[in-house]
Amino acid sequence: MHNYLLYIDPGSGSYLVQAIIAAVLGVAFFFKNILIFIKHWWYKIIRKKTNTP
Amino acid sequence: MPVTKVHPASFRDPSGFIFKANDGILYRQVNKNFQNDFDEFTSCGLYNDLVTNKILIPHQQIGENLTGSEDYYTTLKPILIPFISYPYEWSFDMLKEAALLTLQAAKEAMKFNMMLKDASGYNVQWFDGKMIFIDTLSFEKWDTTKPWVAYRQFCEHFLAPLALMHYLQIPFQNLLLSYPDGIPLSLVKKLLPFRSRFNLNTYLHLHLHAAYSSKPSTKSEKTIAFSKTKQENLILSLEQSIQSFSLNAISGVWSGYYNEAREREDYLIEKKKIIQNWLSSLSINSAIDIGANEGEFSLLLAGNNISTISVDFDHYSINQLYRKIKESNVLNCTPLIIDFSNPSPAIGLNNEEHSSFLERIKVDLVMALAVVHHLAIGKNIPFEKIGKILSAMGKYLIIEFVPKEDEKVELMLNSGARIYHEYSEEKFLRAFGEYFSILKKEYISDTKRTIYLMHKHEL
Repeated sequence: MHNYLLYIDPGSGSYLVQAIIAAVLGVAFFFKNILIFIKHWWYKIIRKKTNTP
Repeated sequence: MPVTKVHPASFRDPSGFIFKANDGILYRQVNKNFQNDFDEFTSCGLYNDLVTNKILIPHQQIGENLTGSEDYYTTLKPILIPFISYPYEWSFDMLKEAALLTLQAAKEAMKFNMMLKDASGYNVQWFDGKMIFIDTLSFEKWDTTKPWVAYRQFCEHFLAPLALMHYLQIPFQNLLLSYPDGIPLSLVKKLLPFRSRFNLNTYLHLHLHAAYSSKPSTKSEKTIAFSKTKQENLILSLEQSIQSFSLNAISGVWSGYYNEAREREDYLIEKKKIIQNWLSSLSINSAIDIGANEGEFSLLLAGNNISTISVDFDHYSINQLYRKIKESNVLNCTPLIIDFSNPSPAIGLNNEEHSSFLERIKVDLVMALAVVHHLAIGKNIPFEKIGKILSAMGKYLIIEFVPKEDEKVELMLNSGARIYHEYSEEKFLRAFGEYFSILKKEYISDTKRTIYLMHKHEL
C-alpha cells in the first residue's frame, strides 16, 4: 500500500524533477545555440561566396 | 456588516477572494497577508504591463472595505466577464491559447522580478475574442533560488491534455471535466503512446515528471537550488512544446456540413435573409446558437452587435469557428463545445465551484436551426423537454422545423434511427405552445422546412 502518497505536498513532488529537467534543458539549449551559431556562420560563408563575382 | 456573497469557487487562495456585494457587482478582496506582494505587483509596473499587453483583466481599486472583514487590505473591481466558460468547454486551439497566455503571464512577471504562483486553467477566461488571465492575485515576488511553484499545476492543467489530444488526435475535453484539478500525470504517462518519449520536451515534462511526482518528497527537496536561467529555460521549453502541438483530426459527423450545405446555397442565403429581417425588428443584446456548427449563423448574430455563445458538441466545428473568429477578429462570439443532450454539469466542492452550463446561460435570443430533428429523432428527446429547456435560456426563440419528408430526416430514419412516431410539425407546435407563442413564421422555399420566431409566455 502506498498510503504515504496521500500526504505529499502537491507542489513539492515537482521540485526535484524541475531541477533535473532544468539541468537537462540547460545542456540541450547550450548545444542548440552552438548549432544555430554554426548554421548562421555557414550560411554567411555560402552567401559571401555566391555574391563574389 | 454589509451583505456580501463570497463566490463559491473563491476559497483556495488565502491572498483574497471574489465576492458579490449588495449592489450586485463582483469585487475581489485583497487580504492583509498579501499586501506586500500586491503593492509590489502594482508599483513595479507589472500590472500596467499585463493590462497594456491584454494579458490580464483590468481592475479599478476601491478603497472601501465592502465585506467588513478583518483581513481586508483593499478591494478591486475587475471588468466583468459577461459569460464564464471552463476549459472542458474549450476546443483544442482555445486551450492552447490559454496555455500560451499563462506562460506569457509568467514571462512578463519574470521581467519585473515577480512570478506566477498559480497556473490553473480556471484562471483564464474567453473575453473580447481572446483568452485573458483573470486572477490578479496570482503574482508574487520571485525567489529565483526556488523552483516554479506552479510547474506541476501547469503541466496537469495545460500540457497534459494538449499532449494527449496531440498524440492521440482525439478531443479529450471530457477528461478535463473528470479531473478539474488537472489530469494526473501518472494517468497521462500511461495514456500517451510510446513514441511520445522520443520528444525531449514531452519526455521531460510529462514522462519523467510523472515518474518523480509519484515519489514522496524528501527534506532535501525543499533546499533544491534553482536559478533565473533555469526558470527561463523551463518556461521556454514548455512554450516550445505547446506550440508544437496540434489537433487537426476531422472528428465529427458535422465536419463539412456547410460544404455540403453550400450545394444548397440558396437555402442558406434565404435562411439568413429571414433571420436578418427578424433581428432588425427585435431588441436583442445576447444570444445562443445551438448546434452552431462552424458558426455561419453565429457570425450573422455577432455581426448584428449581439454577444453570441455558439455551442456544438462537435469539437472540429467549434475549433474551426474559433479559427474563423481569430482570423476575422470577431470580439463578441464565444465558441464552446456543449452537447445539448448532456450539457456541462456543476462540479467541484459542494457542486458549486464551477456552475452548470444551464445555470450560466441566460440570453435574450435562443437560436436552434436545423437541430430539433437531431434531438427528437437522433436522441429521442420529446418536444416538451426540448421546449422547456430552450424556454429557460431566453425570451425569444428562432427555431427551424425540419419535417419527416425532408431528405435529411429520411436519411436519418433510413440509417437505422428509431422511428419517432411523435415527430410531426403539429405535435412540435403543440409542445412548444406550452412555453412559447409564435410571432412569425416563414417557409424556406424549395424545401419543406419552416422557420419560426417565438416569444416565451409571460409568467
